Amino acid sequence: MVQFHQHIISDLLNEPNGGLVVLSTGLGLPKLISALLSLHDPAQGSLLLLSASSSQRSEIILNHPEISEITSELPAHHRLSLYTSGRVFFITARILIVDLLTSRLPTTSVAGIVVLNAHSLSDTSTEAFIVRILRSSNRSLYVRAFSDSPQSMVSGFAKSERILKCLGLRKLHLWPRFQVYVSQDLERNPPEVIDVRVPMTPHMLGIQKSVIEVMDACLKEMRKTNKVDVEDLTVENGLFKSFDEIVRRQLDPIWHTLGKRTKQLVSDLKTLRKLLDYLSRYDAVTYLKYLDSLRASESFRSVWVFAESSFKIFELAKKRVYSFGRKRKLDNRNSDGNDSRATANNGVVLEETLEAPPKWKVLREILTEIQEERQKQAMVREDSLGGGKDHNGIILVACKDEHTCLQLQDFINNGQHKVMQEEWEKYLLGKVELQALPKCNKNKQKAPKGFGILNGIIPSNSGQRAEVTSISKQENDALLAAAHDIIKDAKRNSEVDGVSEGHDRGRKAQLKKKKSVINESDFEPETGIRSVDLPSKSKDKTNVSHKLYSHESGTESMNKEVLRKHSQNSENTNEFPSVYFHALESDQVILDILQPSFIIVYHPSLAFVREIEIYKAENPSRELKVYFLFYEDSTEVQKFEASVRRENGAFESLIRQKSLMLIPVAQEDNFQGSNSSFETQSIIAQNLITRKAGGRKEAGKEMQVIVDMREFMSSLPNVLDQKGIRIIPVTLEVGDYILSPLICVERKSVQDLFISFSSGRLYHQVEMMSRYYKIPVLLIEFSQDKSFSFQSASDIGDDVTPTSIISKLSLLVLHFPRLRIVWSRSLHATAEIFSTLKANQDEPDEVKAIRVGVPSEEGIIGNDIRAENYNTSAVEFLRRLPGVTDSNYRSIMDGCSSLAELALLPIEKLTELMGGHKAANTLRDFLDAKFPTLL
Amino acid sequence: SASAPGPSRNCILVSHRQKGNPLLKHIRNVRWAFADIVCDYMLGQSSCALYLSLRYHLLHPDYLYFRIRELQKKFKLSVVLCHVDVEDVVKPLLEVTKTALLHDCTLLCGWSLEECGRYLETIKVYENKPADLIQGQMDMDYLSRLNHALTTVRHVNKTDVVTLGSTFGSLSHVMDASMEDLARCPGIGERKVKRLYDTFHEPFKRVV
Repeated sequence: MVQFHQHIISDLLNEPNGGLVVLSTGLGLPKLISALLSLHDPAQGSLLLLSASSSQRSEIILNHPEISEITSELPAHHRLSLYTSGRVFFITARILIVDLLTSRLPTTSVAGIVVLNAHSLSDTSTEAFIVRILRSSNRSLYVRAFSDSPQSMVSGFAKSERILKCLGLRKLHLWPRFQVYVSQDLERNPPEVIDVRVPMTPHMLGIQKSVIEVMDACLKEMRKTNKVDVEDLTVENGLFKSFDEIVRRQLDPIWHTLGKRTKQLVSDLKTLRKLLDYLSRYDAVTYLKYLDSLRASESFRSVWVFAESSFKIFELAKKRVYSFGRKRKLDNRNSDGNDSRATANNGVVLEETLEAPPKWKVLREILTEIQEERQKQAMVREDSLGGGKDHNGIILVACKDEHTCLQLQDFINNGQHKVMQEEWEKYLLGKVELQALPKCNKNKQKAPKGFGILNGIIPSNSGQRAEVTSISKQENDALLAAAHDIIKDAKRNSEVDGVSEGHDRGRKAQLKKKKSVINESDFEPETGIRSVDLPSKSKDKTNVSHKLYSHESGTESMNKEVLRKHSQNSENTNEFPSVYFHALESDQVILDILQPSFIIVYHPSLAFVREIEIYKAENPSRELKVYFLFYEDSTEVQKFEASVRRENGAFESLIRQKSLMLIPVAQEDNFQGSNSSFETQSIIAQNLITRKAGGRKEAGKEMQVIVDMREFMSSLPNVLDQKGIRIIPVTLEVGDYILSPLICVERKSVQDLFISFSSGRLYHQVEMMSRYYKIPVLLIEFSQDKSFSFQSASDIGDDVTPTSIISKLSLLVLHFPRLRIVWSRSLHATAEIFSTLKANQDEPDEVKAIRVGVPSEEGIIGNDIRAENYNTSAVEFLRRLPGVTDSNYRSIMDGCSSLAELALLPIEKLTELMGGHKAANTLRDFLDAKFPTLL
Repeated sequence: SASAPGPSRNCILVSHRQKGNPLLKHIRNVRWAFADIVCDYMLGQSSCALYLSLRYHLLHPDYLYFRIRELQKKFKLSVVLCHVDVEDVVKPLLEVTKTALLHDCTLLCGWSLEECGRYLETIKVYENKPADLIQGQMDMDYLSRLNHALTTVRHVNKTDVVTLGSTFGSLSHVMDASMEDLARCPGIGERKVKRLYDTFHEPFKRVV
């Protein structure tokens, strides 16, 4: 444990009420929390961990394997016994709030709660709701909130102050990287750092320049709209994801009044940022492939695709992969050796350039260098016979994504030429495969290599391709011809070694047989352990390094064992022993487990740099050498440096905010009042005075609203509670809120409204509501920060068009004349409207509301939360497939367990499940249809 | 149009009360004519509309209630067309919402006279139109349907759909793909891979 972690913890412990800690990215937040949890005393009560991300969760569990997770799958009485056990639990806000509202959780049994990712809180979020309820009856409760994203803490007005208020806290602790204790700790034994600047190739530089030009042009256009604050619109800001946020925050309130062009500009900027990012991350061929997909999917409205510089991007990206020209004669077809194979076709030449990423070469050099150094050291060590314990010689290569990991591994094993060649072949085959007509794929071959599918038959007349204008037809043909060659080669090879094909077939058979088999030989998403003795292709090994420990196995010995296995494995195939590849995106702890002596940071990331620092500070005796690979003069460097600046800026502004903060001393007392029914009842009482005797009956009762479980994702229940309305959470089949026996409300945010109109969901929901309730209500809820209107007057157009939201609403109104529509400005306005509408109505009946609309055969659903019982995205996916209808999707779900299984079902079985030949055929055809050509 | 009630069949009847309402300028796609009617706008045999400007409501808070009472529930669909022409909407809109809801009227809001006019036109034009438009029919071509299905998985966008489609060749191959094959697709990061994989491989019904 690093010292400043101890400081943070002792600071926190001094404050009985709790506090909010903000620290720099990568400063070991999960470790800090693990240490804090070790101090938990079960006698005080249980400790609940809220809103941890999955990676944080797994890292904490690694240190505390005893911590379990409370999910809604646990039966209610079981949950109760856990709550009162005094242990530490992970829990989601949704379950916790439901259990609190249904009084399943005795508030006194909770000693405190720990909230992670505090930057995403607001006073309407469920976490704030939870704290309010807990605080109201449990005065000794402590709340410790953490955030390691200072940038997000300063977005918006006085955000940190508002977060403190909503958690009822008074103390803000700031721990930037430049804080004295932190920098002392981290700089006492800094690792040896070697900065390697790799020059980019001219083509890469060209692409980068063009992308920035286009970006700049887009930004200029944005400025012209006069809708955005010009100051923030710089290319540097444009490199970050948060740029979208800056722009959206400014534009959202007026979003519906913006022209199409401005909206397009916003999304174009996002695309361009990705292009820059991928330029330094992907190899030339993959980049080209991405551009191709982009061009195919990008709408014709895109501003950037037609800019002049964009043309250059496409040109240069292509040049990095192949060049294409017309040559009279081809004398020296194969004379230039392996590096570029040329294909002649009607005097047209396709020459592969296949530019490899410059970092590859450097990576290999570094590895060699380390290797030599290691051998030297090994010799020295043999002489001294000293303990080589602090130097295990493990090399860790950290890159951004899995894709790069796999590729680098491949590159180290097989060399640059082979990797690029493979990518190129894949690219070409991808193009050809897409040319093939649909339905020629009856026998369901899993064929990344494309055997059998084509068998040399390339559709000779390219009618489909004729519509394509961007690549000339000849170029196209040349690409196809090249692909054809490769297929021929592949076929020849496969005849020679039939073993591999047999193996392939074997795999297929396995896949078909049973799902459990698939699970064994493919990925295990839960455990992440890849057992070595499985029948593995060469690529199977590549995944080894970055998925090497399981979430469940917290035990050291287990990890060690896994590690040993893998290192053996990689030593077999590798000229460089013990090299590990780690994807930063996977967000997993790697340093403490691997304990590398060399780290090569292939893609720079601020958080990872900090992690290395922490790791080194924790293990001062261990030698550590760190290599940074940067592309010189690239946006990669720029982005890295800017991220440091941004973080420092964020902290400076937080420090300023802290000094000016106004937090009332008696904050807890506020909490007392807000939830208790005193206030509410007095309001009701006041209202009653003006009313006649009819109201008196209700005087003793508080207002109640029945709320669907799924609605706890939104903040409305919280705001309703703030207004003193009692919330009864249940699972509703019809409607979201039941205000009275007569009034049922379906709530839609503006965005949801558009989506559910086009999916037809809204029609269905309104139909159900009208069937079961006398006053069905559609609540259209606008967001406070966004404009209160659908569109600007200028967007309305001259004619009645079927796509317009006006037309859709009119049609809905015409078909459901009994439907009432409520237009609400904001969450708070909604709460107001609800209590007004309820005023003269009876209170809703919970038991009845649950039964409404539930099909009789499923009548036993009971208290369970629907979303937890169903894989909702899979169900939604299924319902959107052609041939699947409201009447047959349930039987499909009964008949096969998952979508993957559905993909393999034979037509007969489908016919049986879907209750008809026609529907089954529609579905099967859609599943097997060849994806249309991109060329 | 030669029949006796003539114009009343396919044109909006407008009450004389509405004379001088600038809204009338914006009813252009449908013919309209003044008539002696109890509502403001007669949009069909059993549907009518009352026009209310929020600004007017602030001056005469009882107006809407009396107008609705006049209608005497003679219409299947009674629309209160509310022109939102004040800045501070919350309170007046709450009152209008309550009055409309408790007296069996459907509230529609427009933020400009154009929009209000368009509602009137649309309700008239769509008088006998079936509801297919809002029942979820969509483009029938392959790519739209594929987009429609695959974009149910959170954060999967259209570019990803093209990438997935072109990498795996068909939807059934996508659904059956292993995690690492998914991870090899450009633009599809760790989280998307996990989401996609879970959608395809987790069972529909979770086992308790």
